[in-house]
Amino acid sequence: MAQAPAIPQDNPLLEGLRKRRAAEPCALTIFGASGDLTQRKLIPALYALAFRGLLPSGFGIVGVARTPMADDEFREKMKQAVMEHGRDEFRDDVWEELAAGMRYVATDFADDGGEERVINCLNKLDEERGTSSNRVYYLAVPPSAIEAIVVAMGKRRSTTGWTRLIVEKPFGYDLESARHLNAVIKEYFHESEIFRIDHYLGKETVQNMLVLRFANGIFEPIWNRQFVDHVQITVAESLGIEGRADYYERAGASRDIFQNHLLQLVALTAMEPPIDFSADSVRNEKVKVLKAMHTPGPKHVVRGQYGPGFIEGEEVPGYREEPGVAPDSQTETYVAAKLFVDNWRWADTPFYVRTGKRLPRRETTIAIQFKRAPHPPFEVDSEEGLRPNVLLVHVQPDEGVSLAIGAKVPGQGMTIRTVHMDFLYGGTFRTGLPEAYERLILDCLLGDATLFTRADEVEEQWAIVDAMVASWKRDRPNFPNYAAGTWGPVAADELLHRDGRSWRRH
Amino acid sequence: MIENVTISEVERELGQLRAAAEPGELPKLRTSVMTHMAWVPETWVEAATETLGGLAERHPSRTILLFPRPNEERDALDAEVDLRCFRRGGEEREVCSEVISVRLCGKRATAPASVIQPLLVPDLPVFLRWRGECPWGAVELEELVDVTDRLIVDSCEWPDVEWGYARLAEILDRVVVSDIAWARTEPWRRAIAGLWPEIADATEIRVAGPYPEALLLGRWLGARLDRDIDLRHEPAGEIELAEVDGQEAVPVRYERPSASDLLSDQLEIFSRDRVYEETIRTFSSVPT
Repeated sequence: MAQAPAIPQDNPLLEGLRKRRAAEPCALTIFGASGDLTQRKLIPALYALAFRGLLPSGFGIVGVARTPMADDEFREKMKQAVMEHGRDEFRDDVWEELAAGMRYVATDFADDGGEERVINCLNKLDEERGTSSNRVYYLAVPPSAIEAIVVAMGKRRSTTGWTRLIVEKPFGYDLESARHLNAVIKEYFHESEIFRIDHYLGKETVQNMLVLRFANGIFEPIWNRQFVDHVQITVAESLGIEGRADYYERAGASRDIFQNHLLQLVALTAMEPPIDFSADSVRNEKVKVLKAMHTPGPKHVVRGQYGPGFIEGEEVPGYREEPGVAPDSQTETYVAAKLFVDNWRWADTPFYVRTGKRLPRRETTIAIQFKRAPHPPFEVDSEEGLRPNVLLVHVQPDEGVSLAIGAKVPGQGMTIRTVHMDFLYGGTFRTGLPEAYERLILDCLLGDATLFTRADEVEEQWAIVDAMVASWKRDRPNFPNYAAGTWGPVAADELLHRDGRSWRRH
Repeated sequence: MIENVTISEVERELGQLRAAAEPGELPKLRTSVMTHMAWVPETWVEAATETLGGLAERHPSRTILLFPRPNEERDALDAEVDLRCFRRGGEEREVCSEVISVRLCGKRATAPASVIQPLLVPDLPVFLRWRGECPWGAVELEELVDVTDRLIVDSCEWPDVEWGYARLAEILDRVVVSDIAWARTEPWRRAIAGLWPEIADATEIRVAGPYPEALLLGRWLGARLDRDIDLRHEPAGEIELAEVDGQEAVPVRYERPSASDLLSDQLEIFSRDRVYEETIRTFSSVPT
């Protein structure tokens, strides 16, 4: 069936038709195509976009990796990945159309000529699939491999179409390496062509944080130091390192989660209202928060490493017993910190953040704890069951928002208990939530960088982490200091107890 | 369905359904994004029930099904209250939506507003799906339109569409209208828009499909291009072909959505469709 041609903008027949986010024809090249991310997330996300008719008519995918493979073998592997990890039913017609534009190039980029084969493959796709010389390069490779690819592909930029670059986290290893990487990339690509991905920003609930704050008149007036006692942000994982010892030994929790996901959640929680939802307006406000955040001193940071323990009743090994991990490893699998955003809105309001592996359950939440009512006129006993008001944003897994309020227990007398008003995404909007990668890949195809991190943002994040970990080089912590299946080291509890507070009960 | 009930009894029953069934069991979570009313004359009960299946899961709402029985001798309300509950993945608790079925017997069928007003969820939009042809000018339609934010019809269910569109045009200032027949033409309108600007001076549209949808396409094209367009219509169960001055419009990956999908889409729209209203107003000169 022939496709409808491109529609000019001054077309009176378009009025009233719902606008579609339509991407231009292009080819997406995935570097690191034999990796886990490609199979678990990227290809299923592309299938989901194809399933909904959101990919352009001229579209192709080029997988690039070291593993020798023929095109058909690559397609078959990706088909299995979609069947296993896709969120939609598998439909042959959708798959066949997507797979028809799939190619594979085996190269490791140390091998001279590999980049030429990628370019030749893309040029051929232009002819066969009408991808119009528009290119997206998805770098799903370790930081050490990024530079070579950027240089190789940057030197061979298409002169006719547009080119965009998606760079997976971690972006660099520290501030210096991130600056270097930014400098190398900017030699060949303009900032507007660079899409540094932090998949948390593609999550519906993270975007809902902006809606919650800036589309509801009731929250913003109280979203400040006058009414908020403190903020708690938790990014908890029950999983261990899942065979990624090589990466995790070098990264640790501070670089794996804290530097990106956690600081992004802090920035979204604390930022001022942007003037619009354009990429620069939103990112300008986030950068201001990161700049205003002062580096936590050693007393305000707790690190930990899990020992053996139990997860869901199953005995699991400690971090040092994981395959590939040094038996005396000093790598942290847990970080908690007390942060301050030094600006008019948040001065002296602590942001307690924590992230860790092998915690009792997978959960990402942002809890805004409000100050207590100044003078409740009830008897002290009646308030025993009353906790402060908390606005809880569930990022995952049970996406939604809860508000904890005090309510009178029915009956004689005046007893007050805390109850929750819940808005659950799954209960209210029952259309399945799109995977973060679907949203982010489509945004990149459309050239919308709002949900991607900018160079200065990444560098600010690294500056905070670098300063935080600098003191760690001088001491040898007593690891392991928490058992798998617990909520982290005792010192993390003490971090809040010192302030007369405690972590939220789970 | 319990016969001869009062609205207070219905409300009490709703409260009991929400409460915990067993000691120690958590109360059910209720969730609503709207009040969804459906006016279902006897001949439409089966079709309406089929369409509503699965809809509650996509649009949790308080659903009020109104079954008018004006010819019954009894002047009474019969009602049934039910919870449609859905367990969320990994959650122990179920999320529930309420479904209230009310049979309006005798004179009650001509005063539906007083029945449904106490049952509307405060502060949420009210959508009214009217099955079959609307009884233009009748008190029950007038009353319900006044308490509704959006009236949803399917003009393919009307025996005389030109006359129906003309009457519909008369209430457009009072209520926002969605027409499922119009929604079905959307992929075709988009495809026709793809023929622009070659069709800027078009004089004819040929449509193989249901007459109401063909008529809407023809009037839409005429209104948008501000010129008279001749309609050549060939009957078919669904739109199979649309040609403007001999140029075929081909929708992109078009699959005919189910009745539930179409209604579900309409329940997501809150704004006026000015282009639809403009199209419908072209029928205003049809005599009453």
